[in-house]
Amino acid sequence: MASETTATSPEDTRTSRKISPTVVTVATIYGLVAFMIVASRLVSPSFGGLSQLETILYLSSFLVYCAFGQGLVILVRGLDLSVASVITVGGVLSASLMDGSNDGLLYVIPTVLVICALIGAINGIGVTVFNVPPFIMTMAVGIIVYSLSLGFTGGTPRGFPAPVLNDLMQSRVLGIPSPIWLLIAFGALCTVLQSFSSYGRKLTAVGNNPEAAYVAGLPRRSLIGSAYVISALCAGLTGILLASYANGATLRMGDDYLLPSIAAVVVGGSSILGGRGTFLGTIGGALLLTTLATILSALGIGQGWKTVMEGGVILLALILLRDQVFDGLRAMFVRKD
Amino acid sequence: MVEASPTFEAPRRRRGPSLRYIADSAFLIVIIYAIMAVVYIAVQPSALSAYSVESLFNNSLPLMLAAAGATFVILQGGFDLSVAGTISLVNVTIAVLPMEGAGGALALLGLSLLIGITVGAINGFIVAYLRIQAIAATLATMIICQGLALVILKAPGGFVSDFIVYELTGSLIDRLPIALVIALAIIAFWTLFSRLDAGRNLLAVGQDRKAAALSGINVARTEFLAFVWAGAFYALAAYMLAAQTSTGNPSAGEPFLLLTFAAVALGGTAFGGGRGGVTASIFGAATLMLMQKVLFSLGVSSFYTGVIQGMIMILAVLFSAAVHHAAKARGGS
Repeated sequence: MASETTATSPEDTRTSRKISPTVVTVATIYGLVAFMIVASRLVSPSFGGLSQLETILYLSSFLVYCAFGQGLVILVRGLDLSVASVITVGGVLSASLMDGSNDGLLYVIPTVLVICALIGAINGIGVTVFNVPPFIMTMAVGIIVYSLSLGFTGGTPRGFPAPVLNDLMQSRVLGIPSPIWLLIAFGALCTVLQSFSSYGRKLTAVGNNPEAAYVAGLPRRSLIGSAYVISALCAGLTGILLASYANGATLRMGDDYLLPSIAAVVVGGSSILGGRGTFLGTIGGALLLTTLATILSALGIGQGWKTVMEGGVILLALILLRDQVFDGLRAMFVRKD
Repeated sequence: MVEASPTFEAPRRRRGPSLRYIADSAFLIVIIYAIMAVVYIAVQPSALSAYSVESLFNNSLPLMLAAAGATFVILQGGFDLSVAGTISLVNVTIAVLPMEGAGGALALLGLSLLIGITVGAINGFIVAYLRIQAIAATLATMIICQGLALVILKAPGGFVSDFIVYELTGSLIDRLPIALVIALAIIAFWTLFSRLDAGRNLLAVGQDRKAAALSGINVARTEFLAFVWAGAFYALAAYMLAAQTSTGNPSAGEPFLLLTFAAVALGGTAFGGGRGGVTASIFGAATLMLMQKVLFSLGVSSFYTGVIQGMIMILAVLFSAAVHHAAKARGGS
């Protein structure tokens, strides 16, 4: 399974000028998103402007938050299937604890996030200490957590998020909606964390080659475990923000984010085998999926064909963003000395 | 997922059921299933009535077939998320084409298999020949199939012909549910298949891709065929699901996505490939469905059945890994 990860490594690139495939992927995705937004003017005259960009950024922000955690877990050769349940926990728990008042805000958010982090820690311990395959571990934990929130709410979630949070989701700062500022801040912070911090480099190293990382003295278990904790934290945050945005929580609120979170990471050029990926690419993937969905909705295409086309775009992205294609592109542009 | 050291374990013959045999066969899950069945019979006096047995097997069969299909892909080291989409697609196709009588049922079975095999072949082509990661590729094809299912049937509805609904969910000679006969037939099929070259190749590729290729196995073709078999079994699952629910639902396959993998894991088939089998997965699926009945009979609130299901899944994986580990240590390989 791991044989493809090193598909680009055999050629010696030390002396040749190197265009990183990552840069090409990310540029391609953002180019595609820009093209789609501009071209969508053909669909509807109200499209293609800044207001549409605003809507897309706003709608995709939820997907971006949970996709960051998913991306980190995929980076260390895992997969987090508990994302949907943890989003639900974040939303349901915050709504019922806040119960429509601002009073407890300061303790509710940390409490909810700590509970989510604990769920992530259970995932991490199961995967690293007990060697349960990530797919099984996170799926089982997801089922358990969902079942617990079902029991906790008795089937019908109660309560509302704090009005302050709801206002925040609708407020504007400098003419731009606050959630978009939040998205920009989150994006900048997490890009630094994943691609430019020593922590991110260590995660990449573990994902690239766990044995080598171990030999090099990296704390493999705690690094992998930390990715699951961060993923659960991100999912919890997504849940809180979603509940604030929709002014209430439902038990199925996370379902629409599990597969898209994986799709955004994969479309964004990360390898599902781990060891390669950028958060900027993931954001691009999330934007691409959201843009596509809004355009297809505006076209008045039925849900069925819309879904078919979304799947088609993911498949197309996978086929086009393969290493072989990049090797071909590089061979065209880069002169080997 | 961790790359194994490139040693190739030659299959060895042993006398009696060794620890390795127990680890590699469906032995454990059959025992777990038997224990659960005893508990169920003890707490639910009506468990052995003809109706109860029939409905238990009818409920379990679609998941058994789906898990059997997924096992082909997982054994050779892949993943197939398209199970949910394929089941939805075939399910609605059957519901919008009510062909009556035995001939109609046979025609629909043929059409279902055709759809399943086509989806499987597309998956197999993308994964084995275009070299795209299985999880990512089948995620895309699953979404496409779900979309197509919605195109065919917008909302739950449609009509499944009487022959399929009544004849295929009944019993033969008084007390032998047809669903059980089908499950036993699949087990017999796998017992034969796993002894043929095709079956051995599947396991060999799952154990060590490079070694399999070096020993002359066509790895890409083995991978491709695994997806085709999987598609055919998903189609059968959808066909039996239509017989059981007697209606079409464009999201009929969604519950199968996680349950299928849960059943395979419970059966002890290793994720990453090389160990396990279809028989184990069929018992895994049966155990999962029986467990719901047992928990219900024991009075566990339906809200919390997921907690116990999840825990049993993790424990089953841990237990099966421990037995395998012990077998390896004692086997002295």
